[in-house]
Amino acid sequence: MSTATMHARLPILPVALAGLVISVAIVLYNLINQGHAAYGTDNLGMFWTFPIVVYDYFLLTSTGLAMVATLALVFGGDDFRPIIKRALWLALAGLAGGVAVLMLELGKPIQALWLIPFSFAFDSPLYWKVLCVLGYVLALLWLFSRLSRTGWSMASVRGMALLTLVLALGVTVIAGVVYGSQSMRPFWASGDIPVAFLFESLLGGLAFIIFFTYMAYGFKQDGLPASVNRLFSDKLPSLLALAIFLHMLFVLARMTSGLYGNAEGLQVWQHIVASPLFHLELWVGLVTPLVLLLLPTTRRIGSVQILAALLVMISLFIARYEYIIGGQLVPLFKGAWAPALLSYSPSPTEWMLLHPPCP
Amino acid sequence: MAKWGMVIDLDKCTGCQACTTACAMENNRLPGENWQDVLFYHEGTYPNVNLMWFPRPCFHCENPSCVSVCPTKATYKEPEGGFVLIDWNKCIGCKYCQVACPYGVRFFTDEKAVVQPDIRGVFPGTDRQWDPPYKGPQDDPSRGIGIQPHGVVSKCTFCHHKVSKAPKGVADLDEDIPELKEYVPACVRVCAPKARFFGDLDNPESHVNKLIADQRGVRLKDETGNKPQVYYLSGGAAAAVPSLRSMTDKT
Ligand code: SF4
Ligand code: SF4
Repeated sequence: MSTATMHARLPILPVALAGLVISVAIVLYNLINQGHAAYGTDNLGMFWTFPIVVYDYFLLTSTGLAMVATLALVFGGDDFRPIIKRALWLALAGLAGGVAVLMLELGKPIQALWLIPFSFAFDSPLYWKVLCVLGYVLALLWLFSRLSRTGWSMASVRGMALLTLVLALGVTVIAGVVYGSQSMRPFWASGDIPVAFLFESLLGGLAFIIFFTYMAYGFKQDGLPASVNRLFSDKLPSLLALAIFLHMLFVLARMTSGLYGNAEGLQVWQHIVASPLFHLELWVGLVTPLVLLLLPTTRRIGSVQILAALLVMISLFIARYEYIIGGQLVPLFKGAWAPALLSYSPSPTEWMLLHPPCP
Repeated sequence: MAKWGMVIDLDKCTGCQACTTACAMENNRLPGENWQDVLFYHEGTYPNVNLMWFPRPCFHCENPSCVSVCPTKATYKEPEGGFVLIDWNKCIGCKYCQVACPYGVRFFTDEKAVVQPDIRGVFPGTDRQWDPPYKGPQDDPSRGIGIQPHGVVSKCTFCHHKVSKAPKGVADLDEDIPELKEYVPACVRVCAPKARFFGDLDNPESHVNKLIADQRGVRLKDETGNKPQVYYLSGGAAAAVPSLRSMTDKT
């Protein structure tokens, strides 16, 4: 069954687009009338909040999807061919949505378009991140348009795929450096953050491609073409399980050193571990899908794979939220203005921002 | 070339907030958005409570993390004087500098007002944050001086508009020297117990250097590598800002 047929049955795209228009309109209205007060940010310490969580989540998902596609093109062989184009398309869509959300967060989004690239601020990780994202978008578009033409072979696009892969890795690593280099925030600062981001991103890419491939075929395993079915009953669930395991190692390692560490800022780990959200992230979002994907009786079942991918997607979003918000919960030099850990929950306007990347 | 720095004697500071008020008047600050603040901390529970206060401007660090993270070079260190300033024409409001400043001294313009009701509603600005009935004459957006436009970050300028006009080669800007008092930062000039001193850290003859050497001036959070140009003298009193963790553990 073709994608077009499925869309006719499930009117996902029109509904999503209508939701997109409505949510962006509400966000813009609130921003114009309330300024940044429409978001849950403040001058006490919550500087980067939900919009940055959404932006980073979709940026890393995009690079993860690009990694899946390009790793498959460079090393994977023909088995992966059925998912490559979809992964690239999703990478482009996720990136566009994430960047749109970032634009709604910046103080001067339009000026940023030329002020950053022409600043030559070589000392700033954000400068390099923007340069890398620009290169990454161009490489993605180039590769996607090449694959949209008929008659491509793995060998003919390998060079392009390699370039895209390097840029996707670059964006992800620099995104980690943006946080990992902040020595004044021990919750963030760590040399392993860029590596953790790589694994997180790859995991997100795998989960998204599984979920959205099923979605394209009406969430029905028997609707999958034979080539897709072969991939989904063999390599892909194993790869997803492996990626969950590696990501979980990073989560547990950071949690353990955070709980034992005494630096100001690391007490946030106690706060996080005591919250139900963290246990949702760990037990429901990582352990459950890992077990489901390891059990021979369940790992090949379509609905199980869809569930596992969905749980991973949610878990990664929680992880991103806890990492970005957690690094700012300890106020720096605010005295009696902020005598305890800061409290934060996304405002209704911020929740609206989840919509733009979703179609 | 001067490298301006400040020395704050915590033994003398009474926590009166005259500096905060003078800064607010000089720089048209929104209530609560204090470029210069005196922070209050208390530790312990009744009857064993320790009350502390801590004056805190921007430290105009020698190696400022806010400058290195800025993706547009809007935040920069001016070679003459060593001021760390923000070019509001280049700032895009990404807030990375707010995240990266270890000392919490930066403010984003368009946040909810700290002190309610929001006075911006009473004196609304058009292209600027607000339009108070009295405004200081100084206005230099390329140095972050004046009332900030929308979508940018602001902070203490070390009263660049005053200090930069001081006669070349002076070692200290002391409010007690009549011919220099106009060049003294507002917070230093009004400090009644004279807990603040302002001078050239690169001039071995300056009073600020003597104070730092004789009374073992300390810089805050030196482990971050920022190297503040503001030093604290603590003598026998408690200079440390308690960490949130120590406060939480004791209460
Ligand atoms: S105190 Fe903060 S804002 Fe001021 S120069 Fe140092 S890092 Fe920059
Ligand atoms: S908010 Fe402005 S000054 Fe701060 S890092 Fe971003 S562009 Fe630079």
